[in-house]
Amino acid sequence: MKVFAKLLLIAWFAVALPGGGFAASPAAAGDDAAVRQLLAQAILAGGPAQPRLLGDLAETGSKAAHDVLTAWIRGEVFLAAAPGGARIPVQLEEAPDAGGRTRAIRVDTGRFLLDAAGRELRFTADDLAAADTDLPLRRLIQQTLDRLALAAPTPEARLSAVAKLGYSQKGQYIPVLEHRLPSEPDAGVRRAIREAVALLQLGDADPAVQAAAAQSLARLKDIGALDQLKRLAGDRTLRPPVAAAVKAAINSIEGHITDVNFLGTIFHGISLGSILLVVALGLAITFGLMGVINMAHGEMIAVGAYTCYVVQNLFGSGFVSSITLPFAFHGRPISFGCHLPGLNSAPGTSLYESYFLMALPLSFCTAALAGLVLERLVIRFLYRRPLESLLATWGVSLVMQQGFRMIFGANNVQVDSPHWLLGHFTVNDVLFGYNRVFVIVFAALIVLGTWLLLTRTPLGLFIRAVMQNRDMAACMGVRTKRVNMLTFAFGSGLAGLAGAFLSQIGNVGPSLGQNYIVDCFMTVVVGGVGNLAGTVISAVGIGTADETLQQVLGSPVMGKIIVLSTIILFLQWKPGGLFASRGRGLDD
Amino acid sequence: MRRTPTQLETWGVAVAAFVILVVLPGLNAFTPAASALHVSDFTINLYGKYLCYAVFALSVDLLWGYTGLLSLGQALFFSLGGYMMGMHLMRKIGDLGQYHQPIPDFLVFLGWNTLPNFWRPFASFPFALFMTIALPGATALLFGFLAFRSRIRGVYFSILTQAFTYAACLLFFRNDLLMGGNNGFTDFKFLLGYDLRQPATQRALYLCTGLLLLAAYLLCRWLTTIKFGKVQRAIRDSENRVRFSGYATAYFKLFVFVFCAIIAALAGALYVPQVGIINPSEMAPEKSLEAVVWVAVGGRGTLTGPIIGAITVNALKSWATRAYPDLWFIFLGLLFILVVVFLPGGIVSLPGRLRAAWIARRRPPIELPELPLDPAKIEAPAVTERS
Repeated sequence: MKVFAKLLLIAWFAVALPGGGFAASPAAAGDDAAVRQLLAQAILAGGPAQPRLLGDLAETGSKAAHDVLTAWIRGEVFLAAAPGGARIPVQLEEAPDAGGRTRAIRVDTGRFLLDAAGRELRFTADDLAAADTDLPLRRLIQQTLDRLALAAPTPEARLSAVAKLGYSQKGQYIPVLEHRLPSEPDAGVRRAIREAVALLQLGDADPAVQAAAAQSLARLKDIGALDQLKRLAGDRTLRPPVAAAVKAAINSIEGHITDVNFLGTIFHGISLGSILLVVALGLAITFGLMGVINMAHGEMIAVGAYTCYVVQNLFGSGFVSSITLPFAFHGRPISFGCHLPGLNSAPGTSLYESYFLMALPLSFCTAALAGLVLERLVIRFLYRRPLESLLATWGVSLVMQQGFRMIFGANNVQVDSPHWLLGHFTVNDVLFGYNRVFVIVFAALIVLGTWLLLTRTPLGLFIRAVMQNRDMAACMGVRTKRVNMLTFAFGSGLAGLAGAFLSQIGNVGPSLGQNYIVDCFMTVVVGGVGNLAGTVISAVGIGTADETLQQVLGSPVMGKIIVLSTIILFLQWKPGGLFASRGRGLDD
Repeated sequence: MRRTPTQLETWGVAVAAFVILVVLPGLNAFTPAASALHVSDFTINLYGKYLCYAVFALSVDLLWGYTGLLSLGQALFFSLGGYMMGMHLMRKIGDLGQYHQPIPDFLVFLGWNTLPNFWRPFASFPFALFMTIALPGATALLFGFLAFRSRIRGVYFSILTQAFTYAACLLFFRNDLLMGGNNGFTDFKFLLGYDLRQPATQRALYLCTGLLLLAAYLLCRWLTTIKFGKVQRAIRDSENRVRFSGYATAYFKLFVFVFCAIIAALAGALYVPQVGIINPSEMAPEKSLEAVVWVAVGGRGTLTGPIIGAITVNALKSWATRAYPDLWFIFLGLLFILVVVFLPGGIVSLPGRLRAAWIARRRPPIELPELPLDPAKIEAPAVTERS
């Protein structure tokens, strides 16, 4: 799913970004004219001026310079005679005309070569003399190309150029890299350059340099250097001080990898915990307020996730679904179908990518509506019978799951992430995916919102009153039925929101909710019923513990088993959960 | 002649037992296949399965209907019993498996050459039978002790049993538990030297199940009529008052929990040779909930209810999954919602309800005597406003 989205994105960039064309095409007006002049001079110049001109070119980081220099090395730059008799370096256009001849593009201007009358001249490669290069010059050009790459305009391009040189194992690049270091503005790239230099110095003949490089790598904690260090450590001819330094570097880097993995796991755990938190928050509210255990809460998650799917389709090509019942009425099969036309926005356009913003509130609303209907139809009969509400809502969950299967099919459906949730940023080698960061931030906002709702609004006041003493609240004129209804809808809506997040992280299928319902109940029980802080702590705790144990044990199942067993033992110690509600009454 | 409900129940059970234990197997064994009265081997096998479910439902009901403990982990004990019997049956396949090795096929598949140690004693039937009772019993004892000691009850107990079962289910899905992974055990051949594929063996298993059901029913009936049963129901209705009266309610509950686990395990042990397969999906959380559905539909808090419920719902399921495979879950879900919301007493409460409705219809409404006071003359108490 994600890969597909990325492909779409790449396709979009290729179409949308100007200047993505190939080398030998007439450049747009105003294209780095100065660079082109320099190029032409460098090609025409001979002797000592050439290295200086090429050195100047290297600092520009220009793409045009890269293209022309590459062509020059390959012998694809020619010298044509201008009308005045001067020689002009040109490149030939790629596509020849009917006579096998092509137009020539002037290196110095990027325009077509014209004759005195202003007509475009056409040549074949044999008509022209190539701009000669000898071995030292080619080396020089190659070096210029490397420096050009290091001077590329975007830090990402520079990083990849640095990495390429660093892993080349060719000591000749060390001066190139060191030359770039002082003028590099980006701290991340500077670090990468230091790493690359150290990596190259590892191959140095001088043991002192090698040891220093190993120490430098240990200091920089360069994960990419680990393989080479290990290869080096296996070398028997290594001098003892170098071997010691290499060993220290390996230890340092491996320790760093452990730290990175640990932090990454914690981050994943917290993001999992935040989803759990949003789901469990809804459950905690409904359970705390009404004593209703809603087994269909998991299906509310699925409602939210499927809402995302439908909204995505509405922004794309529309949504089509049909159900055929296995009965026949007067010999004609009964079937329902719906066809919602879509906006037909292409993936990659900003309209399509904004579907998720629309889907978030909608998934809340749809799930809240489903909760409202469920409360009116089933749950209101069962307020005094919590055990039976558990059973009846399980029936509801069966019906809903089968409903999803009939409407959306038994297989998982694809929900693409909008591109602004796809990337990630790196801090100290720990990967932070935008989607997970988004989930964490949003969960925090939801907790804040719920807290404000419960403590700062009239509805919240009523909710807490009904929570504390339903009968007394009713006596004081609180319309408990209405409060029940709204609270249940709110709790279900939160589950729907969680479903929208889940659609960004995992698969969406009919049994989506089933995977979370047990965890979710555990969260509420561990946190203590009717307590926001307890739910927050237990959700993040269980999420993190789950993820960490999965990583440490290398198996998702054992981690889950240990977490569940720990919870059972934890309840021995605190049967009412982390923050048990205190009261003097006996709940008999 | 009017009979009290208890007498009616006794007669009903006697007739049902006669039909199940004598008539059906007799018709299967002694009538020719072409006869209209003949009961096919398939039917006997199917009813054997239903009877296993009925025993299973009985154990759920004794916990839920009589003690107020809604256990959502009863399928765990059912499957554990089944697994213990399954291990014995796997050993009895001998080298007749796909790989013709003296150890079970899945172990060969996992790269084992010799039998793991804990598999060795299962060659003996008495040991397997002992383990059928001991392992689920011990599991229930441990879990129940922890749960009841910290006074976990009501909905919490349900959630916790569900989580426990879920964890066990995940564990059994793993191959390195050496219990067959997600394929479980299947392809059984012999039990006590008899070929399991023979109709006579299946008939004998059916009879055993029928006898187990009868024994479990009678035992439960005895248990619920003596003083123990009264304490049990008192715990259901108001546990604190029972505790304040000096009863150690935790141990009463623990006894019932272990007892029910063993009954369920025995049902599981008879279920496996008749169905021919046991795998971890049998202990998935929804299986326990399904058993609760049978009890709720049949009528909880009665002993005939779960039996009727288990057989009815499963017969319905067999029919519906063939006729309308897509709609079965919707049907089951709706049935469950309707029963829980509108018919909490289940099927067995239906005759009583209908009779009450009938009597209420025939009898004229009770006329209330005229109020001796004229409401108009009653003085309203003075209300003083307070600000």
